[in-house]
Amino acid sequence: MTPMEHKPFVLTVQRRDRAAVLKVSGSVSLTEAEPLREQIDQLVAEQVPVIVLDVSEMDFICSLGLGAIIAGHLKCRHHCGQIKIVRPSGPVRELLETTRLTKLFGLYDSVEDALPRS
Amino acid sequence: MQETKVIPTDLQAARSFAEEFLGKVAAKGFADGDLFAVRLALEEALINAIKHGNRSDPDKFITIAAEVNGEAIVITVTDQGGGFDPDHLPDPTADENLEKPCGRGIMLMRVYMDEVSFNDRGNQVRMVKQRG
Repeated sequence: MTPMEHKPFVLTVQRRDRAAVLKVSGSVSLTEAEPLREQIDQLVAEQVPVIVLDVSEMDFICSLGLGAIIAGHLKCRHHCGQIKIVRPSGPVRELLETTRLTKLFGLYDSVEDALPRS
Repeated sequence: MQETKVIPTDLQAARSFAEEFLGKVAAKGFADGDLFAVRLALEEALINAIKHGNRSDPDKFITIAAEVNGEAIVITVTDQGGGFDPDHLPDPTADENLEKPCGRGIMLMRVYMDEVSFNDRGNQVRMVKQRG
């Protein structure tokens, strides 16, 4: 799949006990960073303890998208919340490693691994 | 053959340009890794031009010169801002900067492209990606 044949950008939210799973599919490009930011802000406003970002079907993200996730991470702190990232694809994982954002978020192999322990 | 295009200071216009150009790159048979790199670097250059160069001023424009041939991709992005000094930027990968939402664009261009250079004023970036 080339960057020109990427999956459509889709955000879906699933509520779990003390968590929300935000699945981000497709490309977070120049014009998708803002919808991502708004969705994260909404979950932060609800003071969800853990926001799990499932990026297993995300094929691209630019720095605006990274900025939206980091901004959410900072806002989560106000209620002692966390953002966790699950299963980035190869190029996205490489980008997270290049920017050292793996140190900020940590990467998880599955949604279940990232959910809070009951 | 080099093509030059002038776009408004607008994310949607920038995205439309990027999609059109990357389609041409894909048609030349560049590998997925090259396409990801060029897409990222181009979008970062356009973000910088819109937000930092032209400061989102709708009365200003961005000029893009782009060329793709069999072996390389060359992109030049020029904004109408006052420019900046690319040699004196904070390292976005330093521990103390990791939580800053901005400031990664130039670093990403340098990592993902083979050549990145700026004009003296600092309002123009030229990037080259050789076929991987």
